[in-house]
Amino acid sequence: MKRSYLPVALLLAVLMLNIIFTQYMVHQYFYENYTNTIIAAVINVILFPVALLIYKKGVNVHD
Amino acid sequence: MSDKNNKIPFNEDNYTHNINRNNERKLDRRGFMKTLVGAAGVFAVSSLPWGVLAAKELTGLGDKKYPKQKITDVSALPIGDAVDFSFPGEHDSAILIRLSENKYVAYQNACTHLRCPVFWKKDEGEMICPCHHGKFDVNSGEPTAGPPRRPLPEIHVKVENGAVYAVGVKRYEA
Ligand code: FES
Repeated sequence: MKRSYLPVALLLAVLMLNIIFTQYMVHQYFYENYTNTIIAAVINVILFPVALLIYKKGVNVHD
Repeated sequence: MSDKNNKIPFNEDNYTHNINRNNERKLDRRGFMKTLVGAAGVFAVSSLPWGVLAAKELTGLGDKKYPKQKITDVSALPIGDAVDFSFPGEHDSAILIRLSENKYVAYQNACTHLRCPVFWKKDEGEMICPCHHGKFDVNSGEPTAGPPRRPLPEIHVKVENGAVYAVGVKRYEA
């Protein structure tokens, strides 16, 4: 039974983006660019359902 | 009543009857993906307060309101000159500089290094702190030289009926 590691890779990519946007968000907050802060926060929030979707799709493939 | 499977507990001397494979409990691909999704959830949740704080900042809810205060009459302040005042409290010394006919800037003039009073050097076009020769840009309050690293807190001014008023303070970030 061959497993697909594509979802794992995708989830790792999502987590990487999470880290990047979190860092960006905090920095933009202290630079007082509050619009950018909100944009980064929203992206971080919608990355969670994306991760969930990847998990749901990927978990039953060849497992 | 059949006696199939309703003996509690099972007639078994261990609790591993539901493990069918060796190493089944180890972190596998599925468990690893679950961890990743959980981590994404943590990131999402921890982003929320930042978003809320930023939104608060944008809508101006975080700004304190001070009663507006007259600084000086326009006629008493020639272009290029400065006048000291205090705002918002009587111990918060501040400086108002008239840069041109209609351009006024005001800052709280406690140096962001060690709080010496910063003064306006007209012929050099800079604000200078005498203590350790810190310099500040007059248009933005940003430090340009010397030990200070943070900008001077800006005071918002408004000209009305031939007089200059202080109306608010850009929040000071310590
Ligand atoms: S107190 Fe102003 S430069 Fe040190």
